Amino acid sequence: GSGGVATVAMEASELWVGFVGAGRMAGGLVRGLLQAGKVPASNILASAPSDKNLDAWRELGCRTTHCNLEVVHRSTLVFLATKPHILPGVLEEIRPAVGSHHIVVSLVAGVTIQTLQRLLPPWTKVLRIMPNLPCVVQAGAMVFSRGSNAGDEEAALLKSLLSSCGLCEEVPESYIDIHTGLSGSGVAYVYLFAEALAEGAVKMGMPGALASRIAAQTLLGAAKMLLETGEHPAKLRGDVCTPGGTTIYALHQLEKGALRATVMDAVEAATNRACDMAKD
Amino acid sequence: MSVGFIGAGQLAFALARGFTAAGVLAAHKITASSPDTDLPTVSGLRKMGVNFTVSNKDTVKSSDVLFLAVKPPIIPFILEEVGPDIEARHIVVSCAAGVTISSIEKKLSTFCPTPKVIRCMTNTPVIVREGATVYATGTHADVEDGKLLEQLMASVGFCTEVEEDLIDAVTGLSGSGPAYAFTALDALADGGVKMGLPRRLAVRLGAQALLGAAKMLLESEQHPGQLKDNVCSPGGATIHALHFLESGGFRSLLINAVEASCIRTRELQHLADQEKISPAAIKKTLLDKVKLESPALSVASASKVSLFTNKSKKN
Repeated sequence: GSGGVATVAMEASELWVGFVGAGRMAGGLVRGLLQAGKVPASNILASAPSDKNLDAWRELGCRTTHCNLEVVHRSTLVFLATKPHILPGVLEEIRPAVGSHHIVVSLVAGVTIQTLQRLLPPWTKVLRIMPNLPCVVQAGAMVFSRGSNAGDEEAALLKSLLSSCGLCEEVPESYIDIHTGLSGSGVAYVYLFAEALAEGAVKMGMPGALASRIAAQTLLGAAKMLLETGEHPAKLRGDVCTPGGTTIYALHQLEKGALRATVMDAVEAATNRACDMAKD
Repeated sequence: MSVGFIGAGQLAFALARGFTAAGVLAAHKITASSPDTDLPTVSGLRKMGVNFTVSNKDTVKSSDVLFLAVKPPIIPFILEEVGPDIEARHIVVSCAAGVTISSIEKKLSTFCPTPKVIRCMTNTPVIVREGATVYATGTHADVEDGKLLEQLMASVGFCTEVEEDLIDAVTGLSGSGPAYAFTALDALADGGVKMGLPRRLAVRLGAQALLGAAKMLLESEQHPGQLKDNVCSPGGATIHALHFLESGGFRSLLINAVEASCIRTRELQHLADQEKISPAAIKKTLLDKVKLESPALSVASASKVSLFTNKSKKN
């Protein structure tokens, strides 16, 4: 729209947001939305088959239901956050209630925009988003793509709403699987690395709990410097390496272990797997 | 200024070629000596117009800057031989890997109280005036002496002064470096040939690629990692290739190489300090020079060989 950010902000507070599925990822997004104060909790309605997940939503002040159709009837922006194998059934169920005023945003891994558009009415504004776990602590990395009927306004709205959860960028749909390999699964690579760092410290005599906390803070700090300085990681790495010092000795070990190639292999494997799964 | 080379092998040849091509020195102002006149470099030096002699003493007498361009184990012999002719005016420049300034000064001080010694580590591309040279000045070498050498070596490439304790690392990196590059180029050319290029073209293109990349890096403010990224378009050919390099531990191999060369240099220095000569280091020319004290003394053993019994000279 021509109103730009101001229009979007106004719309957000009047927005009725629904979640079909109330699992961890949806929970992360809603916490981000509430944290940012963009949407009042009372404007948010979530549905799930059991109360197990919904209790937490009620505690946040959101409304809950067991009826997916109710979510669609009472929301403008509808997030689809079910498990992949559940989604086709859910779409069939809600299809009659989906109108041209709705904005449907799918968080469902591996389900393409093409599939979504096929299973929803032809006029539906569809977007697909791939978040990652740290959305839960508002330090997520999300990419989204738009379907045929979603325009600049919808994209701007989504970006504005979700930037409260972390980095949120629009991309061509072909990048979504890559994002999975890099950042969706990537979070696990970092956990693995953190664990290994701590174990190294424990081997050298540091208590485990302290080592783990320091490992996490080290990763956080390094990432923060990367993001805030905008410098190339190779340059930042070089800055830490005094000639003949401890760091360069350690890095040599990492290079001997072909860490770089292994990480590239990991991203590639996860990306390929995401592609394969989407085809199923 | 006249320059002399004790030794007429690859190093002397490369430096003489470089200096004359750079125009800092006329060939007739250069003298080189070696007992072995069969070296291919000897005829090369002669063709250049360099004065060649078999007498190391003559070289010393006719030079202001004297390069010791012989293999490290030979240095003590040379110093013994020409020591008496070294004067305070001489600037003695040792290019021998692993030979310390203090060991040279110690040997020369029996002949000359304040020998000017500079230790230098260069590399073969001085021959095409793209050398990489570092130097460290000894106790009695002045700032001007260092600057004089720097001027000479800067005419054949990059030259800078360093603390002596870094020279072994420099040996590992830029001293041996051209060999790593030649190996890489040979392999790159093989890759080209495998994919259908004629060998000569493959070699030419590979060399130009490395030359161009090196030039870009030297002229750029950017980190090599950034320059690498600039070449890697998403999902493209280059990033696929780089992944292979990483998988093979390319980076660590290079780190290992520099480390190994540096460590070996230190080992050789240590051997030299103990005045032990490894059998492998003894070559034909040396055999002729070493006067064996006892027929039972075999050069095949690593036992201590006295360096001070040599009084014989070839021819």
